[in-house]
Amino acid sequence: MATTTTTQGSEVQGHEAHADHGHAGHGRELQHHFETPQQQKEAATLGMWVFLVTELMLFGGIFMAYAVYRWAFPDIWAEAAHHLNTPLGAVNTVVLLVSSLTVALAVNAAEEGRKQRLIRLLGVTMVLGVAFLGIKAYEYSEKFAHCAGYKTPIAWATSGTPLGETECLVPGRAFVFPEAHGTTAADVHNEVTPGQGSPYQLFYLLYFISTGLHAVHMLIGLSIVGMLTFMAVRGVFTAAYSTPVEIGGLYWHLIDIIWVFLFPLFYLVH
Amino acid sequence: MAEHSNTMPGADGHAAASDHHSHGHIGRDTYYRVFAALMVLMVLTVGAWWVEGFMEIPRVLGVLVALAIASTKTVLIIYYFMHIKISNRVTQLYAVSAFIAFTILFVIVMGDYFARGWPPEIGPLP
Repeated sequence: MATTTTTQGSEVQGHEAHADHGHAGHGRELQHHFETPQQQKEAATLGMWVFLVTELMLFGGIFMAYAVYRWAFPDIWAEAAHHLNTPLGAVNTVVLLVSSLTVALAVNAAEEGRKQRLIRLLGVTMVLGVAFLGIKAYEYSEKFAHCAGYKTPIAWATSGTPLGETECLVPGRAFVFPEAHGTTAADVHNEVTPGQGSPYQLFYLLYFISTGLHAVHMLIGLSIVGMLTFMAVRGVFTAAYSTPVEIGGLYWHLIDIIWVFLFPLFYLVH
Repeated sequence: MAEHSNTMPGADGHAAASDHHSHGHIGRDTYYRVFAALMVLMVLTVGAWWVEGFMEIPRVLGVLVALAIASTKTVLIIYYFMHIKISNRVTQLYAVSAFIAFTILFVIVMGDYFARGWPPEIGPLP
């Protein structure tokens, strides 16, 4: 009887001792299965990079399809791209590049443990991210407004100026590429793609898929930065521990890199 | 850790100043300079497209110029903003592996298309 009690007692003691060994004196910057904070940070960063490589391959498939079809229909690409809003695309590129700078500076502020600066920079990043999505949404709605027969989304909402010509660049059964420009090499290519109503649709299909997937990534990026801001306000990050800011920043930069390629490939085509 | 010996010091001597970051440190000045370079490249790529509107240059050349500028931007972002410059070797290897994987994808897929005849009207290669 006495022996049993002793054994149980020592077991409990053993557990407590183990728990102490694992957690006492350590914060988030050093979980008990890592040896040094540096090792923990490197493991987290490497894990994020592995994920980013898979992300690149996800977009890589779309870029691959783009390469295959642009190779086949260079004239169609040149004509179709002229119907995209290049000035807005350029503005969006600048917006994203600035947001990449603010994220890089936010990571820097987090490393130096400057809480207020970190919160401000994350806030600016979110504003820029929302601005990007707003401009993108306007570009999309412009295309949908044309399908509905109006010049601009505002005209569509207020039943204002009609478009005049028939144009619908949203892929689907209603797709119509404006006739005025469609009398060149395009008709030749219509022959070589059986089952394909208009090869111009390929360009817009790839445009909507890639920018759409990119916009989804922006939404995810925005929620990540929002989460980081929330954690920063709660004082989670210190000079000794800012890995989540670093990792979230990596994701944001990936979104920027994807756009760096999407912009010239869709908006700057001759 | 063994990787420490592999790392390079920060671009502008910040590494020595901050002893918390044994892997080096990229200063704010560098971020601003990289951002300025990115903006210049952005203006260059739009400028090149604008000029190509007037000039009769081979279409392939225009695509190559645009891709070269985009790749330069990407390298700048990855190397400085994404801290690959001061990351350990394994992380650097993963960053590079993404582009190796994409090259393999491109070479195999395009190789198959060319062998079968692409663009379609040209017909299969001899």
